[in-house]
Amino acid sequence: MARLEIEGLCKGWDFPVIDRLDLTVEEGEFFVVVGPSGIGKTTLLRLVAGLERPDAGTIRVGERDITALPPYRRKVAMTFESYALYPHLSVFENIASPLRARGMAKAKIEETVIGVAKLLRIEQLLNRRPGEISGGQKQRTALGRTLVAEPDVFLLDEPISHLDAKIRHELRLQFHTLEELRSVATLYVTHDYAEALSLGDRIGVMGNGGLLQVGTAREIFQQPQHLFVAQHLGQPSINVVEASLSRADGSLQFTAEAGSLALPVAGPHSETLAAHKAGRITVGIRPQHVQVAKAGAETNGAAVVEAKVEIFEALGATGILMAESGGVKLMALTPPDAEFQHGEPVKLALRNEAFLYFDADSGRNVMIG
Amino acid sequence: MVDGSAADEPSGGNSALGRRLDRGDPATFPEWFNTRKPRANLIVARWVPLALVGLPVLVLFCIVVYPTVWMFYHALHDTNMMRLFQSNWSWVGFENFATVLSSPRFGDSVVHLGIYLTFGACLQVLLGAALALILYELVKNNFLRVVFLIAMVLPMMLPPSIVGVLWKFLLTPSNGAINQALLNLGLIDQHIEWFNAGMSLWTIIIADVWNWTALPLLIVYSGRVSLPPAVYEAARVDGAGTWTTLRRITLPMLKEVIAIAFIVRFMDAFKFVDLVFIMTSGGPAQSSELPAYIAFQRGLREFAIGEAAAYAIIIFLVSAVLITLFLKYLKKVLKAQGFA
Repeated sequence: MARLEIEGLCKGWDFPVIDRLDLTVEEGEFFVVVGPSGIGKTTLLRLVAGLERPDAGTIRVGERDITALPPYRRKVAMTFESYALYPHLSVFENIASPLRARGMAKAKIEETVIGVAKLLRIEQLLNRRPGEISGGQKQRTALGRTLVAEPDVFLLDEPISHLDAKIRHELRLQFHTLEELRSVATLYVTHDYAEALSLGDRIGVMGNGGLLQVGTAREIFQQPQHLFVAQHLGQPSINVVEASLSRADGSLQFTAEAGSLALPVAGPHSETLAAHKAGRITVGIRPQHVQVAKAGAETNGAAVVEAKVEIFEALGATGILMAESGGVKLMALTPPDAEFQHGEPVKLALRNEAFLYFDADSGRNVMIG
Repeated sequence: MVDGSAADEPSGGNSALGRRLDRGDPATFPEWFNTRKPRANLIVARWVPLALVGLPVLVLFCIVVYPTVWMFYHALHDTNMMRLFQSNWSWVGFENFATVLSSPRFGDSVVHLGIYLTFGACLQVLLGAALALILYELVKNNFLRVVFLIAMVLPMMLPPSIVGVLWKFLLTPSNGAINQALLNLGLIDQHIEWFNAGMSLWTIIIADVWNWTALPLLIVYSGRVSLPPAVYEAARVDGAGTWTTLRRITLPMLKEVIAIAFIVRFMDAFKFVDLVFIMTSGGPAQSSELPAYIAFQRGLREFAIGEAAAYAIIIFLVSAVLITLFLKYLKKVLKAQGFA
C-alpha cells in the first residue's frame, strides 16, 4: 500500500503526447483522469504499468522508484479497454492467472478467486469461456483478474465505456463500493465526464499533454480553469461564444463576433473583466443557465434575448433545445414537459451571473486568473 | 472557493494550464521532445531481440547462404568428385547450363514436371480445398470433425520412404492389392502395369496425391473456420443459397488462403525427389524423371557436381519467378482487403 507519485513524465512518438505531467494519487484515493479520445490517457496508464518507457520523468510507488522496472516487478494491476481476457481459459482461470503466475497454493487460489467472483457477482460463470459471456460479464472478469492481484496501484483503462448504459451505471455503482479499490491508489481513465464526476475522489482533466486542472467534481465543473475543461465536462456541452467587450450606458457588455448577439456582463464580473487588457473574450454559457420561454411569456432577468428554435429534442427527463439568436446558436436545457416547434420564436433568459469568461488566446479562465 | 482550489491542492498540479501543445505544430513541441534519445523498452532486455534474430540468422547462413554460394560457384566450373578432392577444377563459363538446357533428358523432365504440377500439385489443392469445405459444411459435430481430420492427415505424417514402399507394394502389378481389388470388382480384366514407361509418372502422382492432399485440406479448413459467422448469417438473411454462398462468399474470402496452399505445394513440387527415387528411380528409361531428381542423380550418384549445380540453379530461378508471381498476387489480394 502506497501513494503513486508521477513527476515530470514525458512521452512522445511522432509528436509529444505526455509533456511534463505531474500527478500524485494518495493511498486509498480514487483518481479519475478524463479527457477526449487520443489525448494520451491510455499512454499515461501504460507508462505507469511499464508497458511503455517514458522519455523523461519518474514514477514512484511509495518509496520505490519504478520508472525503470519491468511491468511484473511494479506491483501494479491494470485492466485493458479491450478486456484482454485469455480466450482459451475459463473465467476462473482468467481470474486466477495472476495468482498462478505468483505460484500461490491451489486451495488458496480457489478461495481467492471464488471470493472475488462473488463480490463481482459472476460466480455462476466461472466455468465459461470469455466467448460465452456478455460484455458486462467480460468486464467483471477483467476487473476480477485485477482485484485478486492485490497490487499497490490499480490502473483502470475505460473499464466500462463499451457497455450499455444500464450495465454501465450498475458497474459504476459497484466501483463506489469495492473496498479493494478504495483502499489503494487507483488511477482510472475515462472519456466519459459523468463517469469521472461520479467516481473520482479527485479528477484530472487531461489536455496539452498534461493535466489542465485537478480537483473535486464540483470544483472542476463549476470553476473550470481552462476553456478546454469547461468544454469537456457537461452534456450537452457548454455554449462557447467568441465575443468582444464594450461599454454601453456605463455598464460592460459583450457582443458576439459571429453576429449581433449582445449581452450584459453581470455586476460581480465587471470589475475583473474591465481590467482584462484584451477586448476579445470567450464566453462560456452552460445550457442549464439558459432558460427558454414562449415568445409572449413574461420574463425577468437582466439578459433576455429573442431567438428562433432550430432543433428540439425531447429526452424524457429533460429536453435539449438549440436556438439561434442574433447569428449565434445556443443550446438550452428545458423542463421535461416543455414542447417546442421548429422555427418557433422563443425568448431566452440567460443567467449571466453564471457565465464563464476565458481569455480568447490562452483559454484560461479570466475570473480565476 | 476560487482561490482555495489552487492553494489547497494536495499534490500533482495543473502543470499543463500555462502552456500550449499542438500536435500539428512543431513550434509548440517542448525542448525534451526534440532532444530525446530512443530508449529500449522495459519488457525485454536489449540483447534479447538481437539474440533471437541473430542465432537463427547465423544458423541459416551456415546451412543456406554458404551452400548456395558454393553451388553458384561450382555451376560455372567443371567440378566433379575427383576434381573436387584434388582441388583441381577450372572455369567453364555457362557450359554446364548449355549442357543441361540442350539435353533431351532435361526437356522431358520439364514436361513431366508440368504434368506433375497440373495433376499432382493443383489437384491436391483443389481436392484438399473441396474436402475441407465439405467436411466443414457436412460434419457439424466437433468430435467427428476431429476424427475425420486426423484420418485424413495421417498419410502426411508418414515418412516419404514409407509412403513410397507402401504404394510400391500396393501397386505391384502381378499380386498387388490394388490390381487384385480392381480385378475382383470386375473393373479391369487384366493387371495394370503401374510401373511401365507410360504409367510410372501417373503412379507417382497417385501416391503423392494420397500423401499430400491433407496439407491444403488443413490450410483451407483452418481458413474456413476463421471466417466470421456473421457474414454467413447475413448471407442467409439475404436469401443466398448454398451454391451462391460458396461462390460469392466462401471462395472469395478464402482466395488468399488457397493461394498459400498453392504456393506451398508448388514449392514442394520443384524439389520433389523422394517418391520418385523410391518408387521408380526415375524409370523406366527416364520416363518419370523430374528436374530435381536429375539434379540429385547427376550430383550425388554420378558426381557431376557442376552440372547438378546448373540443374539446381535453373530450378531455383524458375521456381523463384513462379513464387514471386504468386506472392505478388497474394499481396494484391491482401491489399485490396486492407491487410497489407
